[in-house]
Amino acid sequence: MSSRESILAAVRRNRPEPAPLPPVADFGGAATVEQFTHWLHFIGGQVIRLAAGQPLTDAVRQLYPEAVRVASDLIPATVPVDQHTPTAVLEAVDVAVLRGELGVAENGAVWVPEANMLHRALPMISQHLALVLDHRSIVATMHQAYAAVQHTGNYGVFIAGPSKTADIEQSLVIGAHGARSLVVLLR
Amino acid sequence: MSHPLRAAAFTSDAERTTWHDETLWFVRQKRDKAVYGIPEFQQLRQLASDIKEHTLSRLDEYLEQFEQNARANGVQVHWAADAEEHNRIVLDLIRKAGATSLVKSKSMLTEECHLNPYLVNNGIAVVDTDLGERIVQLREEAPSHLVLPAIHLKKEDVGETFHQHLGTPKGEKDPQALTEAARLHLREKFLIGEVAITGVNFAVAETGAVVVCTNEGNADLGVNLARVHIACMGLEKLIPRTADLGVFTRLLARSATGQPVTTYTSHFARPAAGREMHIVIVDNGRTRQLGRPDFRASLKCIRCGACMNTCPVYRRSGGHSYDFTVPGPIGAILSPNIDMRQHSSLPFASTLCGSCTDVCPVKIDIHAQLYKWRQIIAQEGELPAAKKLGMKLLSSVLARPGIYRLGGKIAREGLRFLPHGLTHAQALNPWAKARELPEAPKQSFRDWYAQQAVKQ
Repeated sequence: MSSRESILAAVRRNRPEPAPLPPVADFGGAATVEQFTHWLHFIGGQVIRLAAGQPLTDAVRQLYPEAVRVASDLIPATVPVDQHTPTAVLEAVDVAVLRGELGVAENGAVWVPEANMLHRALPMISQHLALVLDHRSIVATMHQAYAAVQHTGNYGVFIAGPSKTADIEQSLVIGAHGARSLVVLLR
Repeated sequence: MSHPLRAAAFTSDAERTTWHDETLWFVRQKRDKAVYGIPEFQQLRQLASDIKEHTLSRLDEYLEQFEQNARANGVQVHWAADAEEHNRIVLDLIRKAGATSLVKSKSMLTEECHLNPYLVNNGIAVVDTDLGERIVQLREEAPSHLVLPAIHLKKEDVGETFHQHLGTPKGEKDPQALTEAARLHLREKFLIGEVAITGVNFAVAETGAVVVCTNEGNADLGVNLARVHIACMGLEKLIPRTADLGVFTRLLARSATGQPVTTYTSHFARPAAGREMHIVIVDNGRTRQLGRPDFRASLKCIRCGACMNTCPVYRRSGGHSYDFTVPGPIGAILSPNIDMRQHSSLPFASTLCGSCTDVCPVKIDIHAQLYKWRQIIAQEGELPAAKKLGMKLLSSVLARPGIYRLGGKIAREGLRFLPHGLTHAQALNPWAKARELPEAPKQSFRDWYAQQAVKQ
């Protein structure tokens, strides 16, 4: 008998009495820009509201005046990135400016599906990350977030703030392996 | 070596023990603050517990559904009955990929299976990429906590380790500088990009996706630059629906570190074009635990570590005193299932205060299970000789009122006249190691009660 068969047989032999699956939960909550901003600040990120009519390119240039290598499909990019881009090129990206699909007010997370990433590694390998989000795409909690996303697709990530660690004496350090900073540009 | 002996070694450094205790209690307080901000938190705990209960009751069906969906996504699914088979499968996949090195993000399962030494013995260079895990790997130690692997170390220790292995300046102990050094060192490893191993926080039956939660982004960086992704999971990681992630992602980070959510909550379902993804589903004693009604709830654990942060014994004895992959209260109820004889002292490493049960986000009755394991361990004759003898003596005394009364009298008189050095001799009375016996009363309660009756 294969391990697969023996494991499944053991599970069938030992599984407990049937227990019902609870219905999908939703506790409501505040889906506000204020909450989203509060929590993103709390976890080390930044929220910038774009003024009406302000071009995204200007906002990015203001935020990252030093950035030479910018990867994006939303503004003119200086580094073209697609899924075939070699690692050496990805590794040199200063800033990635990508579209976020939806924001979560209770924790500052932004849903970024594969289709928005240009390359799967780009949101993590880029030194800095800016996510452009429609302020109407903010939901209250993770319940509504998963309800809105429906299917998480081939690959997708909720990104909540910059990469961080507290593995040395519980001291918070921003910029572990992923992006050193995260800005959400709200429009 | 038993838990008390290892704990004694840890507590011999009082300053460090106090620091460890206070640091973990601080994490517990952060957890409380995060939890109190969510009015429905208790309902979420119940939901999580119920979802897991349901999943366990139909685990075979969900495993098959998960496998089917993962295969349809182009993922290769492997099954391992035990640690040895798991390690063999992983090595085989690495060899098929023609790789000699790999990057690994946090996976307690691979720790449980002792994958690293196995791979290293077979000529594979393994790099743990979680900062805490990398630190303990360089020091050739095991993680001492589920989510804070290097919590037993001070920044000076880490500085010395990095000085030796990464060439940071001698005496450098600034966490920011040390983390930056690790970032640069590990980026080189990520860029090699042959094989990436990850653990699994949740496996979604209805989509075949696995969900990995990290703060550093090391899992995503490793997987997305590598040709081959191997995700290793215990079979209890299943949940039925994507919607259930709403419940678990709200609980996990808040319970673990007091964060509202982990920085990266990553859903891997299908490999990128031209790349490979494998999932190894591991039993290694889990189906046996499923068959034990008193202990099967331990399979609901989502590895948040809240029970450790709150446990007065863990906080003061350190993770290594448990000598098991998963330390703390949850480890003390998982380990006897793996090897009861080896881990027989762990269910006793508890005051049974129940704080672990109170903070558990999936409502595992941890302290009740600790108590039940004690019964079994005693019945199986696995108690240490002194405890066994002591219990026997005590039960024979308690069963004979005359002897009990006599014993009490001797003790009351004896405590008054015997020298302190004898009554508190540690070889005779380990209870008195850090405690003072109370002053002996002049008479017993029974004598006093009899007097009252006469007076009336």
